[in-house]
This record gives sequence, structure tokens and C-alpha cells, in this order.
Amino acid sequence: MVRAISTSWGTVYGAALNDAELLRSLSDEFKKPPYKAPPLAPVLFIKPRNCLSFGGAAVPLPADLTSVRVAATVAVFFSRDLTKAKPKDVKSAIGAACLALDVSELGSNFFRPAVRQQCRDGFLPLSSFVDLPNELAEVITSIDGREAHRWSLSRLARSVEVLCSEISSFMTLKSGDLLLLGLPGDAPVATVGQSIEVSSAHFASLRTSIVAESTL
Amino acid sequence: MRRARIYHQGRVIWANASEDGSVLHLPSGETVRSDEVHWLPPIEPGATVFALGLNYADHSAELGFKPPETPLVFLKGGNAFVGHGGYTPRPADANQMHPECELVAVIGRPARRVPKASALEYVSGYTIANDYAIREYLENYYRPNLRVKNRDATTPLGPWIVDAAVVEDPQALKLSTRVNGAEIQSGSTVDMVFDIATLVEYLSEFMTLLPGDMILTGTPHGVHFVSHGDEVVCEIEKIGRLINRIEMAP
Repeated sequence: MVRAISTSWGTVYGAALNDAELLRSLSDEFKKPPYKAPPLAPVLFIKPRNCLSFGGAAVPLPADLTSVRVAATVAVFFSRDLTKAKPKDVKSAIGAACLALDVSELGSNFFRPAVRQQCRDGFLPLSSFVDLPNELAEVITSIDGREAHRWSLSRLARSVEVLCSEISSFMTLKSGDLLLLGLPGDAPVATVGQSIEVSSAHFASLRTSIVAESTL
Repeated sequence: MRRARIYHQGRVIWANASEDGSVLHLPSGETVRSDEVHWLPPIEPGATVFALGLNYADHSAELGFKPPETPLVFLKGGNAFVGHGGYTPRPADANQMHPECELVAVIGRPARRVPKASALEYVSGYTIANDYAIREYLENYYRPNLRVKNRDATTPLGPWIVDAAVVEDPQALKLSTRVNGAEIQSGSTVDMVFDIATLVEYLSEFMTLLPGDMILTGTPHGVHFVSHGDEVVCEIEKIGRLINRIEMAP
């Protein structure tokens, strides 16, 4: 069932470093500079409103950029404010969910990722909204009709309940905000001219393509 | 024009404030005293808010950093803002919480690939932010991490947006912060590493800036840790005075 979202948009947040496999693979690197210690609190980023795109709109790349990382995930939409919430109270504040494709330039880092690499226009295509399923199935990314990536959200280091609860201990997730639950560390690369489909059981599929900005 | 967003008689209204802020002219033609209303941060939900790290050379030196070669931009969420005269919660363990007085440029029309020479034509007004940081919560991932810079009500904003035409040159404004009357920050916007026109050019090169988006342009030197009960006043020439009080976080 697709739900209309009548609430005005708030802020779109994403949880970085919430893929347990990625965290394991970087555990030695995260002891060294510039990181020095593994992350303690949830690590968040913001995708500003110019990134949002719907309905199959293409992701435009400028002339000097031909390929991007495309990280498929599930995002949850808050219908109530969540402040200092216990994990068991999180789901009652989630009004809807969608698939999201977080687009970013290659070669970023975790210390101080540049907004320029993450927040170009159209760098966050979203699917239409549905109820948050009780169980999250695998999220599959196909590029030009061929499966390029799949991951299970059982890989999330913090589940949706734990993640939202811990975030809400230091900031309110407000009604109208959207939260990307985590990005797979092994997300595939897509290049100009390719079409992308993200699918997962119980969700409406997300379709987009990567195009040269000059052709729009 | 000083465009203030206020809460009055059960609804949110944009009003025009008198020069001293004591009177508000409502769109209906009514006039109300400002002590009869609540000041809200002059921003609409969903606006993109950029903030600049280390954008004054003297503040970089004080923190032990070299001034950056490209703008250090981070983003803020809507939960962080609180209006003029509001309260900012200070957690009990936040012994290194300090105010940061910043000039804010408000975007007035869509900006994409705008050259520096015409960049200020896309700025419709200016306001004041006090972008508190709590240094205890710094971690070396996605710096500055949201636990430091995006806590509820830790970015007082306002009192109003002053029209760009009134400000004339945004790079020649004195700014200061006083805590309980004692000056702890004093500088001039002439000392920004990247001025507002450069920032609009830089950001609009890779993304579209939309009306209502805001750029918090960084803070000069002066790190002073605040305590519960402090009154913090950020003042910027030609813009106004933004008052905020520190309360114990529940």
C-alpha cells in the first residue's frame, strides 16, 4: 500500500558506518589517525533538499564526473517526534518507509566527507512510500538489468530500533524527517548511461538512471 | 525590513519588526508589542542550512588548525534552531560548551553556477546565529559530528532577517558575543577566509541553492565555556542582537 505523505518535509538524515561488515573491515584503520578510536555514538550525515528526487528522475552528473557510488538502503519517515526514546517505542513514531539510493562521488573518506561529493542535485532518489514492513528483506540493486549488489539489513550494526533510540538520546528526530538506516560498505559503482533498479520485498521499486547533465 | 517569524495567538506569522525590536507589524495591519509574542527562528522547515568550519583565520589558529584551502562545509537539521530569547540546554557533563557568533546569509532566489561577481544578488537578507559546540562530544567521523553540532535548540537564530539592501557590505560588519555582559568574542566579517560571495559561488557550482536556504559563515576567535544560567548575547552591526540563555538539560 502506498501512503501519501502529507506532512511537510523536515531534514533527511542518514546513518553512516552502520554496516557491521564495513565496521569489521575497517577496525584496524579506525584505530589510526585521523580516526584514532572507533566511533562511539551513531555517525550521521544530512542530505539536503536539492538531493531529493522521485518518480524515476535521472541522476545528472557534470562533465568531469562519469561514475558514482550507488548505495541502496531503506529509509524511514517519522510521523511523530522521537526524543530520548526507548528502542521499544521507536516503531510507533515511524509512519512510512521507502527505498533510497544514496549517490556519492568515489574516493570519499569518513573523517570529513565533502558536501560537494555527497550532495549534488538529485543525489538521493527515493521510491514511493509504504508501511514499514515487520521484517526487512534483502535490498537488491540491478544495473542495466543485471544484479550488481544485494545486502541484508541484518548487517546493520544498530537495528532501526536501537539506531533511532540512540540518535534520539542527543537530538530529536522530528515528524517529517527521513532517516536512511545505513549504507552498505560494498555498494556498486554506476556510470553515465546506466539504468538502476532497487528492489526489496514489501517495497515499491526505485528506478533511476545516471545521465550527463548536459543531455538534460 | 526586519522580517521576524513569530508565534502569536495560536499561529506562526512572519511580521516586520521595528528597528529596536519592541514592536511588530503583522501582515493584517495590526501592531503588537514584542513581549506579547514568541520569537521563532526565522527559517522554514526543510531549508538547507550550511555552516562553515574554520572560516576565520584567527579562530583556526586558536584551535590549532591551518586555515582551510577549500570551504569546510557541514549541514544542520531543523531540530537545532531556537528563536531569539529562547533557552539552550547544556548537558550536565558539557564543560566545554562554547557560543559561536555567526553572520548568516539568506538565499533569495535559485542559485546554480553563480559567478562570484554576481553572487550577492542571490542573497536576500542576513540574520545572526549562535552555533554552540560541545567539544566533549567530538569524534573523528563525519566531522563535525551531529552529536556536537546538531543538538536540539543549540543554534539560536534571529531575531529577524534584515534585507540585504540595508546591510550594503556584508564583509564590513563588527560582530561580538557577550556572556553575562562580558565580551568574549569580537571580530569583523572582513576577516572571513571565504567571503559570502565566494561561498555562494562555491556551493552553487555543484548544487542548486533555493530561497530560504541559509549559510552560517563561521565564527571569529574567542572560545569561552558557558555555564547554566548564563545570558549570551550575539550582536552584529546593522543586523541586531540575538539573546539566548543557558539552562540545565533535563
